[in-house]
Parts: sequence; C-alpha cells; structure tokens
Amino acid sequence: MRRILSLLAAIAATLITPRPGWSHGVQLEYQLVNQVQIQARYDSGTPMAQAQVLVYAPGAASSPWSRGTTDAQGRFSFSPDANQPGYWQVMVRQAGHGQSVTVPVGKVTAAPGAKPPTAGLGQRWLPIAAVIWGFVGTALFFSRRSQPRHADSRGPDSRGKP
Amino acid sequence: MHIPDGILPAQVCVAGYAVTGLATWYSLGQINRRPDPSADIPKASLLTAAFFVASSIYIPLPPASVHLTLNGLLGVVLGYFAFPAIVIGLFFQALALGHGGLTSLGVNAAMMGLPALLAYHLFQARNSLGRPLREPARTGLFAFLGGALGVGLAVLIFLSLIILNIPAEVEAKAERAALLALSLSHLPLIGVEGLFTALLVLFLRRVKPELLEG
Repeated sequence: MRRILSLLAAIAATLITPRPGWSHGVQLEYQLVNQVQIQARYDSGTPMAQAQVLVYAPGAASSPWSRGTTDAQGRFSFSPDANQPGYWQVMVRQAGHGQSVTVPVGKVTAAPGAKPPTAGLGQRWLPIAAVIWGFVGTALFFSRRSQPRHADSRGPDSRGKP
Repeated sequence: MHIPDGILPAQVCVAGYAVTGLATWYSLGQINRRPDPSADIPKASLLTAAFFVASSIYIPLPPASVHLTLNGLLGVVLGYFAFPAIVIGLFFQALALGHGGLTSLGVNAAMMGLPALLAYHLFQARNSLGRPLREPARTGLFAFLGGALGVGLAVLIFLSLIILNIPAEVEAKAERAALLALSLSHLPLIGVEGLFTALLVLFLRRVKPELLEG
C-alpha cells in the first residue's frame, strides 16, 4: 500500500511540475519599434487589397528599401531604419492606379508631401472660380452677336453696325 | 480609369501633351470652319460639366465598382467640341477631385479624346454604313456603337500604356493580373455607356434633332 501511495505521489508530482517540453504554454515577447502603417483605399472607399507597396529610404529613390503587398483591408506596416532619418517615400500601386506618400522619420519637422496635392488651392478656389466663370461665360454668350460670323462681317443689317 | 501622376515615365507624359496639343489644335480648327463656331458652346459646356461629374458616379458592377467615362457620348453628341471639352473636364477633375494628375493630363486627354473623335466619325457614318437599317434603329445602333467604342478604346489604350511602362521595381506578373481584373470589370461598363448614349441620342432625336446634326 505504501508503495502504491508513493508511486501515485511521484506521478502527481511529475504532472504538477511544469515541464517546458510537455506543456503548451505560449511565450510572448515584446519590443518597442518605430512602425509606420499605411492604409490604402480607392477614392470610392474600397480598400486597395493585395496592392504592391514600395518603400524608399531617404536619398535612395532609385531602388526600393523594402517591398510588400497590402492585406485585404489595404493595410501595410513597416519599421523604418532609425539610423536613416529623413523623408521616407512609400508608393502603393495596383493596376496602373497608385499614390505615394512621404513619411517623416527621425528629427524632421514637416513632410513636404504630407498634404495631398489636390488639397488647398484646387479644392477651395476652383469651384468658386468655375461658378463665377459660368455666370460670366453665360452672360458673354447671350450678349454675343446672334448672326453667323460671315453674315455679320458683310451684312448691313447685323447688330452693332450702322 | 485615369492615369495618376507618377505612374508613367516623363517621356510618355511629354508625348501625351504633344498628341493632346495637336488634337486640340486640329479640333479647334475644325470648329472654326463652321458658319457659327460659338453656336454649340452651351451644348459643349453642358456636356463638359456632365463629363466632369461622371467620374464621381460609381456603378457597382461586380466584381468591382467602376465610374462612368462618357467620352464616347461626348464624341457622338459634340463632334469636334468633344476634344477640348474632355481636356477641360480632365483638368478640373485633376485639380478638384484628384482624378488623374497634371503631369498625366496630356496622356489622359489623348486616351479619352481620340476615341471620342473616332466615336463621332462612326456616328456620322450611320447614313452610309447603316443604310439597310431603318430609323430610329439606325441612329440608336450607331449611338450605342459610338458610346461603347469610346470607353472600350480608352480602356485598351490605358491597358497598353500601363503594361508597356511597368517599372522594373514593380512585380510585373502581379501588376498584369491586376490589370486583367480591372479590364474585365470594365466590360459591363462598355455596354452601360453604349446603352446610355443610345438612349440619350434617341431622346434628342425626338425632342431636338438639330442637336445631332454636328
């Protein structure tokens, strides 16, 4: 009986003691990294899934520093080399459609390409100028001579001529 | 279906501007030969505005959503006015909507404008080529063909330009597969634009047929 008890105790001790080879535990490690996440969408709102991404380090526009593809949601992440501070260029391209964005990394103040090229002057003032020109153009059209050009130059009865 | 900035090499963009410049000069020359060159300006202005807005109207045609182009319609209804109308519409789209770009404006204008001029000539040939057909089927069919030809040819030019100018750093196989998917998604649009052009032209033929004399 004592043998059986000691055998059971040995088995229990074996089961309770954590063994790295037997257990299915998970080890997690973390590391703080400087990561850039890109979200690419078409202007219809559809994510650019599986689009090609080219990452260019500062001062090396001829060959990409890294390349990859976006996920189904149009996202792509990369960790730029902290030893290469400056403006990193990221280009996303798919089927002849694409856009590039400039990401400041390290000690840089403002990105030259941070604003989309269409923002500002074009989007703000162009519709206003177009509406004004619409009114002016309509007025000019209706104030023009109504006769055909050749008849105008010859005809004595054309408007604006004695 | 606009080519944005930074996709094509500089030589192609310059060549696009050269072709667009020549085509605009030729179109304006043809317009100037008319007895009253300014008579069709309201019609051209209206359709330029429609062309500008059309690229913001997305049609969900599985497997993707595509936007209207209307270059074939402009060609059929406006004739030589279509080319300057497309140049102006694309300029405003690039600045206000971000569709296309200023460096690729010449390429985009040639890509959409030249098929529009071809659509115009096809529609004008309806009385000779479509003689066996009766009206209004003849006008409707040639309007459909003009509208479909405009967008179909523009898609083909787009594909050719992109495939021939894939940069070395881009994976060509994946890009070609994406281009194939994009072109397949535009096939229904060809039918939609042809149908839309035919309906509009048949409507104009009934209410104001002189607008189609172009």
